[in-house]
Amino acid sequence: MENLKVVGKKIPKLDAPLKATGAAQYIQDIKLPGMLYGKILYSKYPHAKILKIDTSKAERLPGVKAVVTAKDMPPNFRIGFMKDNPPLKSGKVLSIRDEIAAVAATSQEIAEEAISLIEVEYEELPGIFDPLEAMKEGAPILHEEAKSNVLKLPWRLVCGDVEKAKQESAFIAEDTFSTQWVTHCCLGTSGCIALFDMQNNLTMYSNTQIPSLAQNDFVEALNAFGLKNRRVRIIQAVIGGGFGSKLDTYAYEYIAILLALKTKKPVKIVFTREEEFFATSPRQCTITKISQGCDKEGRLTFREVEMILDNGAYTSWGATTPSVMMLPISSLYKVPNVKYTAKCVYTNNTYCQAMRGYGNPQATFAIESNLDQLAEKAGIDPLELRKINANEPGEITPQRFKITSCGMKECIEEVAKRLNWKEKRGKDKGRGVGMASLIHVGGGARVYKSDGCGTIIKMDDFGKVDVFTGASDIGQGSDTVIAQIVAEVLGIPIEDVNVINNDTEVCPWDVGVHASRTTFVAGNAALGAANRIRQQILDAASKILEEEPSNLDIKDSIIFSTKNPEKSIPLGKALRRIHYTTGGKMLMAEYFYDPANENFDREFKGNLSVSYAYGAHGVEVEVDKETGKVKILNYIAAHDVGKAINPLLLEGQIYGGGLQGIGYALGEKMVYRNGRLMNGNFLDYKIPTVKDVPPIQPVIVETEEKEGPFGAKGIGEPGLVPTAPAIANAIYDAIGVRIKDLPITPEKVLAAIKAKEGEKKI
Amino acid sequence: MRREITFTLNNEEVTVEVEPKWTLLYLLREVLGLTGTKEGCGYGECGACTVIIDGKAVNSCIYPVLEAEGKNIITIEGLAKDGELDPLQKAFIEKGAVQCGFCTPGMIMSAKALLDENPNPSEDDIKEAIEGNLCRCTGYVMIIDAIKSVASGR
Amino acid sequence: MRSFEYYKPNSLEEAIKIMAGLENAKFIAGGTDIMVQLRQKKISPQHLVSLRNISELHKIETEDGLNIGSLVTHDDIDKNEYIKKYYSALTDATSRLGSKQIRNVATIGGNICNAAPSADTACPLLVFDAKAVIIGTKGERTVDLSEFFLGPGKTVLEKDEILKEFSMPRLKENTGSAYIKHTRREAMDLPILGVATRITISLNKDSQIRCRDLLCTVDSISNILMQLKDEGLKCEEARIAMGVVAPTPMRAKKAEEALAGKIISIELFEEVGEIAANEAQPRDSIRGEAWYRKEMIKILVKRALMKSIDRIIRPDEEIYPERLW
Repeated sequence: MENLKVVGKKIPKLDAPLKATGAAQYIQDIKLPGMLYGKILYSKYPHAKILKIDTSKAERLPGVKAVVTAKDMPPNFRIGFMKDNPPLKSGKVLSIRDEIAAVAATSQEIAEEAISLIEVEYEELPGIFDPLEAMKEGAPILHEEAKSNVLKLPWRLVCGDVEKAKQESAFIAEDTFSTQWVTHCCLGTSGCIALFDMQNNLTMYSNTQIPSLAQNDFVEALNAFGLKNRRVRIIQAVIGGGFGSKLDTYAYEYIAILLALKTKKPVKIVFTREEEFFATSPRQCTITKISQGCDKEGRLTFREVEMILDNGAYTSWGATTPSVMMLPISSLYKVPNVKYTAKCVYTNNTYCQAMRGYGNPQATFAIESNLDQLAEKAGIDPLELRKINANEPGEITPQRFKITSCGMKECIEEVAKRLNWKEKRGKDKGRGVGMASLIHVGGGARVYKSDGCGTIIKMDDFGKVDVFTGASDIGQGSDTVIAQIVAEVLGIPIEDVNVINNDTEVCPWDVGVHASRTTFVAGNAALGAANRIRQQILDAASKILEEEPSNLDIKDSIIFSTKNPEKSIPLGKALRRIHYTTGGKMLMAEYFYDPANENFDREFKGNLSVSYAYGAHGVEVEVDKETGKVKILNYIAAHDVGKAINPLLLEGQIYGGGLQGIGYALGEKMVYRNGRLMNGNFLDYKIPTVKDVPPIQPVIVETEEKEGPFGAKGIGEPGLVPTAPAIANAIYDAIGVRIKDLPITPEKVLAAIKAKEGEKKI
Repeated sequence: MRREITFTLNNEEVTVEVEPKWTLLYLLREVLGLTGTKEGCGYGECGACTVIIDGKAVNSCIYPVLEAEGKNIITIEGLAKDGELDPLQKAFIEKGAVQCGFCTPGMIMSAKALLDENPNPSEDDIKEAIEGNLCRCTGYVMIIDAIKSVASGR
Repeated sequence: MRSFEYYKPNSLEEAIKIMAGLENAKFIAGGTDIMVQLRQKKISPQHLVSLRNISELHKIETEDGLNIGSLVTHDDIDKNEYIKKYYSALTDATSRLGSKQIRNVATIGGNICNAAPSADTACPLLVFDAKAVIIGTKGERTVDLSEFFLGPGKTVLEKDEILKEFSMPRLKENTGSAYIKHTRREAMDLPILGVATRITISLNKDSQIRCRDLLCTVDSISNILMQLKDEGLKCEEARIAMGVVAPTPMRAKKAEEALAGKIISIELFEEVGEIAANEAQPRDSIRGEAWYRKEMIKILVKRALMKSIDRIIRPDEEIYPERLW
């Protein structure tokens, strides 16, 4: 690519100064005049009948302005994609995080006291906490309307003929793997402020990752409240972490809306850390049965996967993770025959939603661990097996994904080289190496009917640019990437680009910050708008400079003729001339980029994304055989990113994602007992600290994806997709035991070592 | 019963009436309007609320407000001098150590306390200084780089 | 949270007097435990009497053994070179307790009086035969630390009593100590279990030189001990304390007896580890499983003893971090 001035450079994040000085306004920091504080009362039991709710004492407490229960909500109003979740519960509670009542009061403290004054009478019911129990005959049906604890969801993917392929396989490996609930642990907890104006139009200050879709959800809510045809405006505060946790609208947001409606005042609800742990929705846990086969030469013949997902008490995006799990199941490596079924089962546990990777880490753990098992059976080095079956550019996978750019082989080779695979593999002396690869969407994902993002660009009188984008920044740096693209196209310094991305009143539509799509889709939208306005500028300047637009260029904010550089005019001057005159013109451009990808058809096939991201992670571990503790000596994270528009931010995603993956593999677990969260705090739920960071080497492989802005693909999620199986595979190389159930704790490792020694003695 | 305390806050003397049960964090955020210091957990387990008291990094969310009497307290708002950012702030910005930024004020204060006491820390010293500051976004690597760059620069 | 009054006495007499006149009151030191318990609504006192401003509680005296005032912070102990050199197990504990922010404020007295089974400073203090010096309305008394804890969160302190200081006797020559905190992550963690040891060995000069060379290698404990056995190093006296494997931090007295007077060898350490494991009563909790804790006692006793001996033989050299002790 030609000399790029801004794209490809390590540009610091645009809002970093605000954050580093403490000036950034997170939802916790925002105060509005007359604002009330909302607080929610949660269920005492995971499964019970609500016999009576007495809010009288709470209502009488001075400072309390409203107390609401289910009777204040529209009777059949339900949220969640299966519409099975009433924001305030009545009749029955199905989990410990069920919202029973809420108050709005003049201070946080009064609100908390009011909650303690609400008296609820329950009749406890026996709870079901195991999806296998919930599936049994005679198990109590948790949602009577549903008639079964197994959700009616169509998760079934069949490609080719798995049964036939089994017969024709030389080697088959089969096993069961399971993954745990882990949670996002955003440092900034969830929260919102709801307020109505005199005409009952709603403004929500929010942390959402999906402003346009949330707007839609709240319009539906207002309709249900009898407020038809009202506006909903979403203003995003600075977001203190997302990772998927803000990809759905939560009950507390509707409760805030209800309280704001009742009190006619702004109502703020902000979660405490305890609420953030037990009342937000974690990563979907899985039980996976998998078998894979290959022929004598190691070419994969089939992959069969059956999953059971604990859906919890209500339904959020966790129940849709199978649609993403199909990605690696059908298309990670070349596998001609694939069968996948998944069942989501209601229980009295917590319910799950999106979390970085959206099912891909869970599925890849099973696939890549089992692949190593297959390699062992076939007597082939796991590295070789992966190379033999690696995806290639131009391939069409069984799910009909069209692979355009593909750096899988390069990533695998980088990992092998930097880990010193041949030297270190197979020593079985407590040290070992392992690897795993990944495929993820990298060019948007048509999960909804639209995968689009809009951009509007407006020039001011001084050569500076305002870019209105639908894409939110959740800390990953989309604001900066968009500014870089616009600055590059317009030939202006990045300091002159202002990105506005947090107000639905001015920002165009975007489907949301998910599926690692923002650099690709929002980037392309910004690129499209920038190209359009550049043309407008050059067309208008051509009249001023009396030069053909095709001979004009802009550099350092000066428009000049390439034929005769003396013919020039500063951008700001040109802009003023263009409109500050009779018959003046306003310069503004818009572009809505909706990638040329496809929705799945009824068989879940179709080119979900315009391009796919690849990567491979390799790990060297040392296992303390006496204590079972696993130490990572070296970690290589190789990623095919198309093009690194901003290597600084990109590495940040790889380091951050990698460490989240390490936490997922080695230590994080939400411990539930009979439906209650036992470790909802930062001491007992252990996310990695700075001292837990191993030596990590990010490796950026650039395959120049044609459809991506300047060749870029997505990176937001891939960073933690292959971590757990890479570590599990390395542990197997080190001590010959395989842990199939995450997280890999010292207890599990030690128990497995002892079991193995026991076998040897016999 | 409210009591009056006087202490130095960001190099200025402050006198304010407080409730004994308040934490220092509550006083800073809710009463004095200094919202740069964040509450991440309220239990001293994440470090987002870190301020510097008499030269030492402290979790303000579990610091009884009455103990602030007579102390020299610095918050994130007190770092920039005459509109010029502290070298640590500049380094965090330039080295990519800021993503969502929620942990950033506390992280910078822990680093500042370290560098004020030990201008030439080893990597182990740096890790020890920020072991009590959780970050979920960055994976810490660029944070360590940022602090190192200031340490070697001095 | 209920309102409370907060007092800041400047002397012990003042503190005791204030407390004597109050109902539903608690002493508070650094506050890192109490502020958390207040927020969790586990306690709701009407009065808090702060000990922070009582200067005599902040002293560290090293002329005759070691006396540490109860309000000394873990950071102060960390920075004390004398404690690090001679009472190393204590520095092992304070350097890994909580986080830097916590260590700057939390006190050793608070850590002990909170009486969690996982209190990191308890095991080191126990192996140094610490005595708790207590003062109250009835005057001063001294309690052996091994008798100080009554149960999780419970101590022998009466309502009006203040833990003034810990006093530890002078250590004999050729004594080394260590505390190993077995955790899941490398910072800000409570121990799954913790083991402290102190050992005094008989050692002649030639032996010391050969042992030093041995310990400079990066070999395994069993191999090193096998070679050490030939030196005939004798254990004169030993102390072993364990945390989170019983309702209170405890001494493994039978294991200590099994060590006394014996020649150091891998077989001895393994036997002693077994005995210590059998003296403990570990439980299952969300922080760890009983069977694992029991297994780890054996491993940690071995490693802590090894580290203690290493410190005797190579007192001025770093313990290698990549080693298993």
